[in-house]
Amino acid sequence: MKKDGNLSVLLRGLLVENPVFVLVLGTCPTLATTQTVIGAFAMGLAAMAVLICSNVVISLLRKVIPDTVRIPCYIVIIAGFVTVVQMFMHAFLPELYELLGVYLALITVNCIILGRAEMFASKNSVARSALDGVGMGLGFTIALLLMATVREVLGAGSFAGIAIPFIKDHTIGIFTQAPGGLLVYGLLIFAVTAITQGRAPKKKSFGCEGCPSAANCSACMGKEEA
Amino acid sequence: MNRYLKSIVVLTAICGVIAILLSATNFVTAPIIKQNENAAANKALLEVMPEGKEFTLVDISSYELPDTVTSVYEESSGGYVVQLTTAGYSTGLVIMCGVDKTGAVTGATCLASGETLGAEKTYGDKTVGKTIEDIDSVDTVASITRTTEAYRNAVKDALNTAIILGGGSVDLRSDEEILADNLDAALHAAGGKFTPWFMVEELEGVAAVYKADNGSGMVITYNGNFYGIDSAGSVLGEADEATKTLIADYAKKVNSSKVNSFSASSYELPAAILKTEKTASGNYVFEVKASGFGINGDSYYNPSGEPIIIKASVTRGGKIIACQTLSQKESEGYGSQCAEPEFYTQFSGKDETNYKEIDAISGATITTNGYVTAVGRVIEAVNIIEGRAK
Repeated sequence: MKKDGNLSVLLRGLLVENPVFVLVLGTCPTLATTQTVIGAFAMGLAAMAVLICSNVVISLLRKVIPDTVRIPCYIVIIAGFVTVVQMFMHAFLPELYELLGVYLALITVNCIILGRAEMFASKNSVARSALDGVGMGLGFTIALLLMATVREVLGAGSFAGIAIPFIKDHTIGIFTQAPGGLLVYGLLIFAVTAITQGRAPKKKSFGCEGCPSAANCSACMGKEEA
Repeated sequence: MNRYLKSIVVLTAICGVIAILLSATNFVTAPIIKQNENAAANKALLEVMPEGKEFTLVDISSYELPDTVTSVYEESSGGYVVQLTTAGYSTGLVIMCGVDKTGAVTGATCLASGETLGAEKTYGDKTVGKTIEDIDSVDTVASITRTTEAYRNAVKDALNTAIILGGGSVDLRSDEEILADNLDAALHAAGGKFTPWFMVEELEGVAAVYKADNGSGMVITYNGNFYGIDSAGSVLGEADEATKTLIADYAKKVNSSKVNSFSASSYELPAAILKTEKTASGNYVFEVKASGFGINGDSYYNPSGEPIIIKASVTRGGKIIACQTLSQKESEGYGSQCAEPEFYTQFSGKDETNYKEIDAISGATITTNGYVTAVGRVIEAVNIIEGRAK
């Protein structure tokens, strides 16, 4: 199969395979940290840092890590980088650390990161994995920023904490709460699907070859035997 | 076998490398995190002690401090900053209070609160400059009485903590514990079980009488002192002869006092009077109905619809001897405070000329007015019976 070019690897995370609006991954932090633009931006950058580092290391070790223990290995690597990011934020960006709270630690179990490790980094070179990390990380950050902008402007009448005249006196409180988050999420998915005309993702990307449970899956083994 | 061994080795090696990475990161970030935390803690400390320079955490494990105290910092010039957790109206408050070396409050702030209203955020400003002598003079805030009372008590605990840490001594017992200890000391034979006696006789200088449940005697509080009297009528403990004679005389009056039913059907008494009784000495005991918030409250607040029932004893001359709440269903935290002795004992000794001169409970004006009106009805009833009605 012909491989995509490096530019394509970098750009597809932004829209065509956007992890939030197209792959619908990382929904929990997306809803939880998009009440404010600053919180969303911090979450996006933290996740992108972990995504790039874990993609690079997993790609480096892809020929060393045995298949049977690859998931525990990925988890240890991802959790390690999350803890490093957490410690640095606690030390140098304490206000953002407090703002993100438990969701910072929960990046460990963010399916975007584990998904890219399993689907991409474990099969591609270090450079391409790093590009994938940057692209997916940017896609995640942009998605969070889009959602946070709508929610903070309409729900709190401000942008990045700066009050917007007129709107600040006519806020719609529900947008800062979970139902408002889901509404904005749904509308943005609709918009992205309309723009991409539902072309991505391709079904084959989610075939048995990309499934973490393929080795133990009877359905998959049945296919192979056939 | 090799496959399993390789898996174990690789996973262990990755764990090892990650552990080293985390150790190195921790080595770099831990001092900065600690510095940040100290700066954040100092910021809160400086808020309540703006003149403070350096603060040191005090090991309070060897001191007997109020239960509300959670941590104490000593300021380099001799003051203290005390952090306290206290119960309020709902989930309680976390208060930080600064006390300078002269024993005056330098500032108090609410660090966390689950209360329903936000006035507790600024209430601490009212306590600045107060000492243990005058902290009780800080008024609570109407409509959040219980929250602000808890706040004031927390500041009081902080002042007491500063006294204890400075080498002084403080009685940390609650009012109930002090009363129980005093009663037990005065009449040990009672085994700590007493029932307050509703005063129907005028006993000058007597604040309260407590009868032992086991019949071993009574305790009379006279001019602030507790005097035990055994079942034979002997005054226990130390007192001068004149006082002993007086107390013994009071004890006889208490023991001989009897309240008999009294028919007042031939008098046109106020409708609020529910029950009339009379003592052998000629004093009257009435049960009277009062309309408080339960009856007169705004329907928006869902009043109980129940009246307040008060028992009052009064001399023939129309002077209130004692007053007691028998039942009431006023608003919790507001009118319910009128059921406490601190409120209704204010009527003792009052007569027609001054029964309205009492301290109202803030936030419970309608209930307070109900009590005042009821006491007025009692005095009116005595005047009718004694032929003094205008």
